[in-house]
Amino acid sequence: MSKLAYYPGCSLHGTAKELDSSFLGTAAKLKVDLAEIPGWECCGNTAAHATNRLLATALPANEMAKVKEDMGLDRVAVPCAACFARFMATNHDVQDPETAQDVEQVVGRPYTGGVSVINLVDFYHDEVGLEALGAAVTRPFDGLKTAAYYGCLLMRPPKVTLAEDPEHPTHMDAVLRRLGCEPVDWTFKTDCCGASLALCEQEVVVELVRKIVANARDCGAEAIVCACPLCQVNLDTRQGDIKAKDAAWRDVPIIYLSQMVGRAIGVGERELGLGKHMVDVVAVMA
Amino acid sequence: MTAISGALARRVGLGSGENAYKCYQCKKCSTGCPVAPFADLHPAQVMRAVQIGATDAAVDSRMIWLCSGCETCSTRCPQGIDIAAVMDELRMIAREEGRVRKDTPFAHILKLNYDSFRRWGRLYEVELLALDKATRPSSLMDDVGMGIRMFLKGKISVLPTMGDRPQMKRMAEAADRITRGRRGVAQAIDLPDARGGAR
Repeated sequence: MSKLAYYPGCSLHGTAKELDSSFLGTAAKLKVDLAEIPGWECCGNTAAHATNRLLATALPANEMAKVKEDMGLDRVAVPCAACFARFMATNHDVQDPETAQDVEQVVGRPYTGGVSVINLVDFYHDEVGLEALGAAVTRPFDGLKTAAYYGCLLMRPPKVTLAEDPEHPTHMDAVLRRLGCEPVDWTFKTDCCGASLALCEQEVVVELVRKIVANARDCGAEAIVCACPLCQVNLDTRQGDIKAKDAAWRDVPIIYLSQMVGRAIGVGERELGLGKHMVDVVAVMA
Repeated sequence: MTAISGALARRVGLGSGENAYKCYQCKKCSTGCPVAPFADLHPAQVMRAVQIGATDAAVDSRMIWLCSGCETCSTRCPQGIDIAAVMDELRMIAREEGRVRKDTPFAHILKLNYDSFRRWGRLYEVELLALDKATRPSSLMDDVGMGIRMFLKGKISVLPTMGDRPQMKRMAEAADRITRGRRGVAQAIDLPDARGGAR
């Protein structure tokens, strides 16, 4: 059984509880031991790097120092795409010796890299592996047409995320295929949903969401699968706003990749958290 | 008329490590920017404004507070400029110079968010929303129905979950102290603007 540190992040204890529970459920079934980082703190999110760069770099460094020194591990699973990008940015930035020195002063001990950060998609694609994942599938989807939605921060900027093909990623598609889904080709795979602008620039976010969901549906998708709490919340909750102005709008369910994997390998309904969605998912997940 | 000046580009360079003069206005950043259609300036125009030192255009733009941080511009720039980092830098300059536009709610949200995780160790979503509603009257009726539905579905945690608060406090204070020292040189550069020279 392989063992990884686990960093849930703030969203997974709030608006994305079903990502937390479904991810943990799949990890247990797939025999990956996850140890939550004790006393973990916020990664700093957009607010930190827009306000104080050093704090933005130091917060994930503090977590990864704990993983390395206190837990004796060298890998951490970070299912939230936004947290993942911040952890990867720290691994990139501490390569600069002056930054590393400042980070050491802030954190109280050195962190100069050495902890691998694993996002939700690559947890299944690489850590578990497609072969082992395929072997664990007991309830495959019957050719459900899915749009794999990667969003921004799993991919960009590639010098930080080390994404192989940031404009046309395929790992989530490969995972979905193993679950019996039929991933569709579509245009908005890596487009931005508006992220936390949703809290104050609603018109912007509604328009971005409308374009993304409409394109997925036009390309034949029956569901959109995502790997980021902000993407899920925006795409799921804003379709109601679109519908209010466009009676002909047809909703598309927005499902976390961990929920899809969980459904296919027999994770319990409670852990899947399918009742937490605004757009009903039961029809496609039944 | 704004005098052409290198002061803003110098200051952006010191703070972000990005050289604005590398931009040759191909506008690849702007064509890929998801929020450009809603903004006053597109990213390439912000870069031009930085190059010529048009502080009022760049630092006072609505664009810098509409940037969602999607990093499409930084990913595609043929000159390798981290344009999103320039946007971040302009936000920091706007705060340092006390010239954050009042009609940019995202600036307010980011501040509440920053204060929230520093206070609790983790982001406390409910507090952030409550403080936003209390301090930004135009937000009062936004998304109330959705908030209630999300609460009923158990997606909202009423109480904060806390991290290691003493360690967060230590780190935040140390980062403030070191950053003040590091940014001092950049802050000493006076920025000319259209409202009559150096402020």
